[in-house]
Amino acid sequence: MNELLSQLGIDWRLLLSQAVNFGLLVIILTFFAYKPLLRLMKERERKIKEGLAKAEEAEAQLKEAHTLKIQKLKEADAEALTVLQQADARAKAFELKCVETAKQKEAELVANAERLAKAEQEKVEQEMRREAVTLVKEALVKTVELNPKAVDEALITRAVEQVARANK
Amino acid sequence: MQTLLDFIPRAYAASKTTEETHAAPGISGATTTAPVAHSEAPGIHISIKAEELFRIGDFPVTNGLFLSLIILVFMGGGAMLLGRKLSLIPGKLQNAAEAILGGTLSVMDNILGSRRQSERYLPLIGTIFFVVLFSNWLGLFPGVGSIMLYEGNPPTGGAPLFRAPSSDLNFTLALAIVTVIATNILGAVAIGIGPHIGKFLNFRSPIGFFVGILEFVSECARIISFSFRLFGNIFAGEVLLVVISFLLPYLVPLPFYFLEVFVGFIQAFIFAMLALVFIGMAVQEHEAAH
Repeated sequence: MNELLSQLGIDWRLLLSQAVNFGLLVIILTFFAYKPLLRLMKERERKIKEGLAKAEEAEAQLKEAHTLKIQKLKEADAEALTVLQQADARAKAFELKCVETAKQKEAELVANAERLAKAEQEKVEQEMRREAVTLVKEALVKTVELNPKAVDEALITRAVEQVARANK
Repeated sequence: MQTLLDFIPRAYAASKTTEETHAAPGISGATTTAPVAHSEAPGIHISIKAEELFRIGDFPVTNGLFLSLIILVFMGGGAMLLGRKLSLIPGKLQNAAEAILGGTLSVMDNILGSRRQSERYLPLIGTIFFVVLFSNWLGLFPGVGSIMLYEGNPPTGGAPLFRAPSSDLNFTLALAIVTVIATNILGAVAIGIGPHIGKFLNFRSPIGFFVGILEFVSECARIISFSFRLFGNIFAGEVLLVVISFLLPYLVPLPFYFLEVFVGFIQAFIFAMLALVFIGMAVQEHEAAH
């Protein structure tokens, strides 16, 4: 048996050293390669899964946002239409009110103008009357200056008539 | 006594071991007394056992052990280098390592049935595969088996500086023993020490006792089959390449080199897969018990 082992080159010391070599390699590879790599691969897998889940979530949110956007746009369209209609109605009402106010103001202005014109007319008439009296007075003065007797006679006549009327 | 070497045809392996004392050139402070095998036919050097290069005290360092130490340094250094540069966004080296690891885990998943189990046994199975693969392939490298150490002036005898560890029975046997022991330890951890020993020592019935003995014999047979299968294939491949290179040195050996690259991979795969299957059986027994 020993001769067979010797012929095959089997030596327990070499066997042990090869086994120790292998054991060392198992330990080194485990702690420097297998475990860190597996940890890293799991970490990456976890992150990829998380990323995919987030991407799906983001996609769902995007779809929801898109739907919401369309809905909001529709609502905004409807609201804008309502606002437009209301504005139109308000504008029409305002227009009517403006017209009414304008008419009232026009009437007031016309009335005021008439009143002013009447006052002016009265003023002019009074002025004319005053001027007429002055003119008559001046005419009388001139007439008296030309023929005072005739004025006296007229005044006397008039005074007599008034006394007579008073006596009646 | 007729030795194993006598079965190798004399044309390319008529070798015998001689006890010679020589200084190993190129290795400082190393003196060796070693059995060195050399062929009678000039140009061919075939030895069934690894040649001693030098001694450290009483400990013989053979060329097979020397290369396996280089593999240890190479793989260990590579792992440390890789471990330092790991990042979530992988570089080329990390990418390749992750792809290889992912492939290995996928193959293991098919046998063990779960990723958790695969990750648990990856250190042992992965290391077996990669060590055997590198051991097989490094034997095909230029310089391995052809760089010789001679002693004396003029130089006589001589031994290759490097030898593929897989063509050294010490390596394959050590690996087989470690694998079988590890399988039994993992089995005991999985199903409990009592039930595991009960597989070998079953006194409940004569048949059970006999089956227990068969189980024990099969464990021993596993060691032999593991070690000799790998050793035989790789050593035979090396002999084939040496003979072909000696007879027809140009171009003709090339297909055989490709064949040996393939054989090297297949043998590493077989070794690792068998170890995995044995571990898987223990784990399945554990699952079945629950």
